[in-house]
Amino acid sequence: MSEEEKVTPEPIAKPTFKWMGLTNQWDVRVEPNEHGLRLGDLNVGIYGEVPEYWEDQTRRPRGSVGRPGIPPLSYSLRYKHDVWADCAADLYEEAIQRQWIPATDVPWNTLETLPEEIEKAVCQVCTELSQYANSEIEIISHWQDEMSYGFHEVKQYLATVFFDCARHVEALRKRALSNGGGLGIESKGVANRMILQSSGGWTESVAYLYLVRGTYVFHLIKGLHNSAHNEAERFIYKQMLQDHARHLTYGYDHLKYAVTHKDGQTQIMETLLAVGEGIMARELDTSLIRPAMAIIFGEGLEGAKTKGMDSYLALVKDFVADYVEICGWLGIEKTGRLNPALQQYLDL
Amino acid sequence: MPVFPSEEWFVAVREEYNKDPSLHSGGGGACDTVSGLEIADRFYRIQFEGHQCVDIHESSKTDIEDLDFVISMPEETWRKMVKDIQKNGKASALLTLNSIDLSSEESIAYSPIDDQYRQDLFYRYNQNFQDLMDASARVETSFE
Repeated sequence: MSEEEKVTPEPIAKPTFKWMGLTNQWDVRVEPNEHGLRLGDLNVGIYGEVPEYWEDQTRRPRGSVGRPGIPPLSYSLRYKHDVWADCAADLYEEAIQRQWIPATDVPWNTLETLPEEIEKAVCQVCTELSQYANSEIEIISHWQDEMSYGFHEVKQYLATVFFDCARHVEALRKRALSNGGGLGIESKGVANRMILQSSGGWTESVAYLYLVRGTYVFHLIKGLHNSAHNEAERFIYKQMLQDHARHLTYGYDHLKYAVTHKDGQTQIMETLLAVGEGIMARELDTSLIRPAMAIIFGEGLEGAKTKGMDSYLALVKDFVADYVEICGWLGIEKTGRLNPALQQYLDL
Repeated sequence: MPVFPSEEWFVAVREEYNKDPSLHSGGGGACDTVSGLEIADRFYRIQFEGHQCVDIHESSKTDIEDLDFVISMPEETWRKMVKDIQKNGKASALLTLNSIDLSSEESIAYSPIDDQYRQDLFYRYNQNFQDLMDASARVETSFE
């Protein structure tokens, strides 16, 4: 290239300051209260206007000035009733305050050698519960990508759930690999598949993830907590219980919002749950969590056949009873309409 | 010496709990709720704000619709828990609110208006309540 052909670079642009006058609302002074400065406190003026439908298809933060020419992104969840729960901002604050560190918070030195059959049962439960948590991570990450930025409280809250689940996977794996055992057999994944293949919208996934499977998981963790063999296990399950209670709170609250704000959603839910109940019943039948929990409750193989199994069945009965009650709270009548495979647990 | 259960006893426990942040570790986070404690025919309203228990007083079991949830256990179970805390410095494994809840036929917490969202607060906050109850290890207690 000759000297004449060399391209002269464009000069560095001089800064402009026209943007400084552009704002939708200025002079906002949200002040902290006795609880500090919380996410929900920022919902003042236009910044607190959560639309029923978010027109914008960009990553524009709610309340900021839109910029012409930004190519649209493919957000499919643009109605408030697709994602919303009034408690999301509060749950976000609660979640970030209640983090725990499995590496150092769990009193690992309290682990003691357990009879091999019990260690195997604990490790099997840890294996399958960690898969449950992984499927929760996957389904949330899938739908996060589809959620509009108009509902940023929900997006932020779900980011904490994502992290909670990662921590559950971590803690369960650590428990399985720290007491002379090891990971057990992979779950058949019946319920995991139901959740991961729920493609009709986030609400459908929430119904399966939290109302159907999550309610069961909650009872499982409670059972594990009450049967903990040492302080380390007790701490893990106690913290998981608290985290999972937050997850369920969002899940139930979102479903309530959806059925009360979207025409026909109750009927859709009835159809979805009829399918989900059958799959959940199959999960209960095929998962190795059942015999493993019976061993834990029965304190060994012998006890598993009697009081262990009885305790597990009582746990499932409690789960189904809770499920029916929450459905009722959502306006979905289940009495007389429950899948017979789940009804049998109620009839025990 | 404060008698369990009584308003005097709960106020003494509250003071112990509020003045020592090391007692706030179990919950690990702020707790904002107005709830109830039901001990046989006695009823106490209790309010948490952040890491503080800002109020607890004896009340009646009427007009409780504003409460998020009520923890209700047989008096004998309450006494067993408090005695265990007195003896061990904190509730032992099978006498925590979490454990008692599981081993009970029905949940020990209920929402006065059957609101699932508010009922779930019990599971999100019961560690804060446990911390408060564990603070009673520092209160010399009479059981009459």
